[in-house]
Amino acid sequence: MQKTKIISRILLLFVIVFSLTGCWDREELEDRSYVIGLGLDHSKHKGKIKVTMLLANPEVGSMQGGGGSTEKPREIISFDANDLIVAKVTANAIISRLISYDLLKIIVVSEEFARDPKFWNIISDVSYDKEIRMNAYLAVSKEKASEYFLKNNPKMETRPHKYFQYMIDHGIENGLIPDSTLFRLFRTTERGTDLFLAMNTTAVMEKHPKFKGEDEYYAGQVNASGELDDTQFIGSAVFWNGVMIGKLTGQETSIINTLDDTTNISDFLVNIPNPFPGIRKSFAVRVLKREKNKVKMNLKGPRPKIFITLPLNFDIMSNPSMVDFSKKKNREILKKEIARHLKKENEEVLKKAQKELKGAPYPLSFYARKYFGTIQEFEKFNWAKSYLKADIYVKADIEIVDYGKKAKKVGK
Amino acid sequence: MRRKILKSLNKTFNSEPQFSEQSNANDIELKKQDISRHYAQNIETFKSIFSIPKNIDVKVREFTIRSLNLRAFIIYIGTMVDTDQVQRSIVKPLIENEQPSRKIQDIVSFPVGKTIINIGEITENITRGITALFVDGDHQCYVFETTKIEGRGIEKSDNEVIVKGAKEAFNEKLADNIALIRKKIKNENLIVEAHVITKRSRNDVLIVYEKDLVNDELLQKIKNRLASIDTDSILDLSILEQYLEERPRSLFPTLLNTERPDRAASFLEEGHIVLLMSNSPNCIVLPATFWALFHSPEDHYLRTPYGNFIRFLRFLALFISLFASSFYIAITNYHVGMIPPDLLMAMAGTRERVPFPSIIEILMMEIAFELIREAGLRVPSPIGPTIGIVGALILGQAAVQANIISPIVIIVIALSGLSSFIISDTSMNFAIRISRFLIIFAAGFLGIYGVAALSIVGLFYLVSLKSFGTPYFAPMTPHFFSGKDLLIRHVPMKASFRPGYLKTKDMVKQRKD
Amino acid sequence: MNQQPGKLGIREYVSMVILMVGLKATEDTPAALYNMVQNAAWMIPILSAGIFFIPLFLLIKTMSLYQEKNLFFVIQKLFGKYIGFFVCLLIFIISSFGLSFDSRTYTNIIRVYYFKTTPVLLLYALLMTVCAYGAKKGIKHIGSVAYLLIFSIILSLFVVFGLSTQDSNIQAVFPFWGTGRLEILKSSAQRLSLFVEFFMLTMLVPFFTSSKDFRKGTWIAYIYVSIQISAATLFFICLLDHSLGEMGYPFHTAIRYISLGSYIPNIEIVFFILWVMASFIRFTVFLYINALMFGETFHIKDFEFLIPSLATIYLLIGSIPETPLQVGIELKPFIATTAGLLFTAVSIIVWLTALLKGEFKHAKNKNNI
Repeated sequence: MQKTKIISRILLLFVIVFSLTGCWDREELEDRSYVIGLGLDHSKHKGKIKVTMLLANPEVGSMQGGGGSTEKPREIISFDANDLIVAKVTANAIISRLISYDLLKIIVVSEEFARDPKFWNIISDVSYDKEIRMNAYLAVSKEKASEYFLKNNPKMETRPHKYFQYMIDHGIENGLIPDSTLFRLFRTTERGTDLFLAMNTTAVMEKHPKFKGEDEYYAGQVNASGELDDTQFIGSAVFWNGVMIGKLTGQETSIINTLDDTTNISDFLVNIPNPFPGIRKSFAVRVLKREKNKVKMNLKGPRPKIFITLPLNFDIMSNPSMVDFSKKKNREILKKEIARHLKKENEEVLKKAQKELKGAPYPLSFYARKYFGTIQEFEKFNWAKSYLKADIYVKADIEIVDYGKKAKKVGK
Repeated sequence: MRRKILKSLNKTFNSEPQFSEQSNANDIELKKQDISRHYAQNIETFKSIFSIPKNIDVKVREFTIRSLNLRAFIIYIGTMVDTDQVQRSIVKPLIENEQPSRKIQDIVSFPVGKTIINIGEITENITRGITALFVDGDHQCYVFETTKIEGRGIEKSDNEVIVKGAKEAFNEKLADNIALIRKKIKNENLIVEAHVITKRSRNDVLIVYEKDLVNDELLQKIKNRLASIDTDSILDLSILEQYLEERPRSLFPTLLNTERPDRAASFLEEGHIVLLMSNSPNCIVLPATFWALFHSPEDHYLRTPYGNFIRFLRFLALFISLFASSFYIAITNYHVGMIPPDLLMAMAGTRERVPFPSIIEILMMEIAFELIREAGLRVPSPIGPTIGIVGALILGQAAVQANIISPIVIIVIALSGLSSFIISDTSMNFAIRISRFLIIFAAGFLGIYGVAALSIVGLFYLVSLKSFGTPYFAPMTPHFFSGKDLLIRHVPMKASFRPGYLKTKDMVKQRKD
Repeated sequence: MNQQPGKLGIREYVSMVILMVGLKATEDTPAALYNMVQNAAWMIPILSAGIFFIPLFLLIKTMSLYQEKNLFFVIQKLFGKYIGFFVCLLIFIISSFGLSFDSRTYTNIIRVYYFKTTPVLLLYALLMTVCAYGAKKGIKHIGSVAYLLIFSIILSLFVVFGLSTQDSNIQAVFPFWGTGRLEILKSSAQRLSLFVEFFMLTMLVPFFTSSKDFRKGTWIAYIYVSIQISAATLFFICLLDHSLGEMGYPFHTAIRYISLGSYIPNIEIVFFILWVMASFIRFTVFLYINALMFGETFHIKDFEFLIPSLATIYLLIGSIPETPLQVGIELKPFIATTAGLLFTAVSIIVWLTALLKGEFKHAKNKNNI
């Protein structure tokens, strides 16, 4: 009995102590303020950076029924700080709750800062903070990141985490923006052989954007009007060794996404020049990647040769010239035209990458590795340099799955 | 050395208090004697033993046996015997029979049980509802099995409800209970042995087993354990259960207590031993493992896929009821990143107005739920539980509106509370409900790490538990041959072995030809 | 109360060994291997398993001469009282340090990834308390718990691997030979420490019903574990590529990264629970074996009473290094290399002594008679 008494007393003591002391890591979830977006800019002060935090207000949109809050869905603060981690503490001078990066979804860097060699130094801190997850996205904005968050004012998805989640997920699915998680950033940069693409975004529309074909836009150039938010996610910013060196349009990005086997691109729609006579110059197809690309390389000799085969499935979505696809000839014409178009587009983009960006815009170097026995040999080959001299041949292996609903002309 | 000191200290602090007790040496001495040949002395003795006429339901009837022309009396307890039968088959023939016959056995139409001479033994028999006949000049007493105790009929099982399968349950009458088992196992090897285990109220326990299956060592062990019980009275099987357990203070039960005869029979067929006691509408099955406590008879009655489905549900329920609340505390207090953003926002939004930390919130609701549950049981009406649940919902709703509790907590508690109902065994149910609180504290203390540490300690403890030498998780670990009826069960044709931990005489239920 | 040591089943033994050794795949081992030979790191576990096979085989062969006797008994018998005692003491000390620093590493992982502000000592003390409690229950019960958990733990490990393939690239294993064939072989020889636990597990022979069970269990576990560590390293190479070298604990980086779609983005806690439970079992076994060694060395029969005090000592030793880095970079590799070499040497010397003393012949003669 004595024993039981002692044990129960100790238990009671433990229970009281454990439940009442705010044990070290314990923190109620409503005591924290969740940062959804983080902006990085140059600071006016030397050796500092300007950090912008987009904080979500949990009260908005979470209450069912009566008593919906009239508070704003978000809070944005910008201030100068030494780095991202200490910024959390500094922000608490302004924000009432503990700053937490647990829900961090997107890090927006201004183009100007991204082009600074210092950028890599700052962003590397992220891997030390255990709250920031490697599946947060990196985006580059044309304007200052602090302005970006202010201007970004979604009309429908007022809760910021939802807005960014939808925007990014669907952007990646459509292939207009690259899948630029921090994980990929670090992996690509540490490998040091290929370029990294970050998504390009802006909240400022260009004043008089030129109209261009299809998706050949940089962020901010899509000319949309109406009652809307000006934010656009399209195209990509190219990084080499952690420094931004260039930009790609939406179309180029989607081509690279098709070439890249490591992104989860779903089916997307593109325009293909119309090979048949008619008023309209293009028709719409749905592109679906059938399987992984086949890449063959011939790396001997001064000019390496790279052969890429894209296995793609197509659905024809429109038929502006009302062609009868039950005829084999017409189908052949169509197939050939698509193949030609794709080859041209793909090779153009890769050439551009070789000439202007000086690197492979996706992890192409992986395919080269198997041609070498040891790391030493691969390093001697020096992919980053050799690639620039390479001849790249792209071939599209096309299968047209569906020719659309109407096979024959209707009416006259 | 230290142990010795502790022991002596313990002794000084916990010495048994001194009572002024009255000696009953006279009574004991009396009971050891045999009855006398003198009619008057016998009647005097028994009147004093049974305190007649103070004791109103002890009846003594004096008469003359006509054919023998001898004075005789019968003594019985009126409330425990079939008075009609006594009148018709014992008294009437004795009084009315005119043919001269020397033997009592030939006169009464009631089958004579036996003849006894010891006073103590006769007394014992009378208290059990037997009629004793004393004849003048006879040195022995005739006893007749006239017991007829009123009690509940065989009813539906209340606590272990199943949809498919036999519905009848044990009742308080021992004869009925044995009959219920016997009618399921029609085999002469089914042995029902009686053992008296207490001195004062002379409670007896029936040990039921199948002679050609049971392991003799195990049987002997149980008999020894029963013999070692030294107490005045054990009124109920549930109390005996506590005497029998190796670790009576342990949270987890090591004996299976069931009120279903079909369940008892199925355990008997596997070679287990069943204990029955009069006045207890249930039986104890030993040895019992975790699996025996975890399973429900319905698992076997339903077709294999359905049976496994409810097994799976029960397993899930076990986890939910154990870990739901603690998991909630752990992830909201320590590992916030785990929660999907939308849910996290919703939770943070509602938590904002709640004045208590979430562990207090959870504890408050858990205790409230337990209160409602207990109250629901005690409400004297079959709608009690319903009222309890409704009460819980209303309480929850009001608590949310008053900003005392956040709505998600209601969901968590409701889920874990409901899940705890799925574990049908009462003791296991309690074990899980109590350990849930421990895990909640562990989660409050160190989040998931605390939960994991406590769970592993719990597992270490559980595997070291034993029920009459059988490890708690046998036959899974340590491994024994068995019907492979653990988490999932096979089709009945495949379950061809009896559990190996029982070391039965016949291991194979169905030989493969 | 009458808990006899009981006999250990082969299932329990195998699951214990898998948890004890296989868990190395989830700490800093893959990263360390990667730093040795880059993307050929996955070959090392298999190769060093191949190399370590010889001493282990010889040791087990020697052990089988002495039915139901443990390693220390054999050592003391073969080497004589004094040298034997010294060797046993050395093995005990080395494995004690190994246990201390290993457990410290695990505490560091817990702290760095999941409990950032909780004091190390508290996490560490809890770990050791739980292990001491478990070890006191005896090897049979440790085995039972290991067997109860093994399937879920292995399953979770493979779920992690499966989910990690979403973002991994199989081509990361090329160039196939990493930094060169010779380099791989050299590193494999250095990494014998991966399997030193098997050496220590020969302490458990008396707990088996037959030494055949022990041999069978050991080889099953040996093969499985070498494949598991190798597979884990391979998956981490594919997922993390060059970053693997810079990450201390790739398993934890991986479970933090993988997700079940965008609606359940973070699931690391589920894996963490199972991982922590596995580590508890790992150190419980470790602690038990160390206590057993201590008991054998100093001829203490009721060694189970020593477990709490030993656990405290290990806790204190483990708390000496100030930073996790010190443990990871200086102490652990040192202990590991020493242990690898020493244990291999002892195994071979034991066999040689037995051979020279003619013990094998004796055994044969005995069998013939």
